[in-house]
Amino acid sequence: MRFLTDNNPALEPGSVLYTRCTVDLETGGQDMAEVPCRNLEDVLGGFGRSFQMLAERDIRDAYVEENPLIVNIGLLTGSHAMTGMRSYFSAYSPIKASKKGWPAAMWSAASGKFGAKLKWTGLDELVIEKRSAQPVYIVIRETADGPEVTLQPADHLLGLTTHEKIMALQEQYDDAHFAAIGPAGENWQNVYAGAVAVSTENQLKSKQDKVRFAGRGGMGSLMGYKNVLALVAQSRDQLGRTPEPVKKANLNVIKGGGSARLQPIKRGGGGGTWAAYDVLQAFHAVPVNNFRPQGSDLPERLFRSRVEQEYEIKSEACYRCGITCHNNIHERNADGSPGTFLAKFDYEPLNLLGTNLGLHEAAQAAALIHLCDNYGMDAITTGVTVSYVLSYNQRHPEKPLLNGAHFGDFDKIHDLVKRAGLGQLPEIGQGVKRLSESTGETDYAYHVKGLELPAYQPETNPGYAWAIAGGHMSMGTYGMLAREGKTDLGSWIDAITRDKLQIVGFDMIGLCKFFDIVNGIGTDMVVDCLAAEHGLKVTREELQAAVKRAFLRGLILEQRQGYGKQEYCLPAEVTAKPNRNITLPGLTTPEFLAELEQGVWDIFDREMQELL
Amino acid sequence: MKITVKLFAVLRIGRFTEKELDVPFGSTVEDVVMGLALPPEHVDILLVNGRHVDKEYLLQDGDLLSLLPMVEGG
Repeated sequence: MRFLTDNNPALEPGSVLYTRCTVDLETGGQDMAEVPCRNLEDVLGGFGRSFQMLAERDIRDAYVEENPLIVNIGLLTGSHAMTGMRSYFSAYSPIKASKKGWPAAMWSAASGKFGAKLKWTGLDELVIEKRSAQPVYIVIRETADGPEVTLQPADHLLGLTTHEKIMALQEQYDDAHFAAIGPAGENWQNVYAGAVAVSTENQLKSKQDKVRFAGRGGMGSLMGYKNVLALVAQSRDQLGRTPEPVKKANLNVIKGGGSARLQPIKRGGGGGTWAAYDVLQAFHAVPVNNFRPQGSDLPERLFRSRVEQEYEIKSEACYRCGITCHNNIHERNADGSPGTFLAKFDYEPLNLLGTNLGLHEAAQAAALIHLCDNYGMDAITTGVTVSYVLSYNQRHPEKPLLNGAHFGDFDKIHDLVKRAGLGQLPEIGQGVKRLSESTGETDYAYHVKGLELPAYQPETNPGYAWAIAGGHMSMGTYGMLAREGKTDLGSWIDAITRDKLQIVGFDMIGLCKFFDIVNGIGTDMVVDCLAAEHGLKVTREELQAAVKRAFLRGLILEQRQGYGKQEYCLPAEVTAKPNRNITLPGLTTPEFLAELEQGVWDIFDREMQELL
Repeated sequence: MKITVKLFAVLRIGRFTEKELDVPFGSTVEDVVMGLALPPEHVDILLVNGRHVDKEYLLQDGDLLSLLPMVEGG
């Protein structure tokens, strides 16, 4: 980024320039340009910028040459601000589609160190156009003359897992970080939920597959379609002394309310997102057997307190992050030391590849998480689609789908996940919306707008309907009922249309949500960081307004891609067969949902009109 | 008066899962939280007899007070 003045970028966005390289995979040509920002969303970056480019394209199928893959960062990626590691992958999604069959615009965010390295090459955005006839990887290098982008043959990477690709590239490139697809992305025809794996410092040093992901929306599958197997960002680390205001903000992130609950237990924290298991189980709201909690104590078998009786849990962190929210599960050696690394236990993959499949052994869930990670396949989409298969088979024992797997049948479930990752089971690889439409039983397919739900019961979160890029990461209402006990219509309308959509601001600016998950990016902490890092004067209100506009553009894009308002709804089973085992107040009655829909659209319709 | 307190997740570590307590009449939820020396940054969800309440809620004899940490995404 280049800043021509130190004025307010909200008032003078054109005085901020970002460096964009557009690569044509068909010809090998490229265009490197400094581009003036059109608005504060452009300045902040991430999906705030990429969605404006996607809006300029008329795309009716994700797998077409005109669908660009946009790889970018945020304004605080690679800065001293804690968690400033994010890279973003945006495109029209292979997996998320309207009932008309048109693909939705989508983004997916990754941590790891690739984003910071990309920033330090001097490149802010890479636009990958068309597709290559041969497998390639793209190298972005820092040079004395600015960023340099080259295409390299990648035949030697074909067929390797995400981790193996990264390890192979590390042999060739010093001082670099990597983004790579796995076999799932390579088999894009049959796998629409391919993820992009992003390397971490921990991975490169330990040689263990401790990878991070841009998992949602099939960005890895589109990368596979384009025949791009990996990206390399090679640059020197460029962090000097941390400015005092940023140091203060970072301290607040670590010690303030923002992340304290995510810190390791031994530091007095709550132990990462895994703790959601204990909290939601108190309401019998942990998804079990395809989102049908049974009022039993089965989920408790994957509580941390149970798992650590048998396994070693290492608390680890992203590069320079003091939050330390990773819970890496290792076998326990005879002497009590950590043995073989099994998997990282976050709430979402652990539940959706564990309890929600009827699997209650940590080793089994770990094996499935490990498979998804190494094949480069979104754990949420995969888990939910497999749980649909199991639910179908429970209902139709006489004519089961695929291998006839049922809840709790680890061997058969493992077989399904493995074959899906290798592109041998398009029924699973293409997601639950398409599979349920093919069987004609859509009521218990747990997706909204074609994207599978994360591991929060829809009964607890009617806000899912308006999430623009995945249930919990683009609409922060998932805890409103369980955490805040909110049941009144006004609170929900207000949350969906104002405060809780602000969560997407983190997917613009380059920070992780745990920087301040409650307040979003419209805070003094972020204002101070922008001033200290870039000399920018911007207010909290301007940041909030930019996030709101970016979110509304997401809704507008959804509607342009054929989404009707009837598609903004929860899975039908939620209202058709209310689950009385969940002890939270029953929000999702047809009457409440109808009034919520009316109230939310009254506001969003008006705001979208004003933006157009 | 007697109330029952249930702790969840990290709040249980080094403490208890469920315990009956004698507290003075007029005690609030906050009084109990402070009395148990629970770390305030971890006490987020307050339930009395299964219903969400705020920290000023006046407890009654026989209440079941459940204390839980926050639900995070990810």
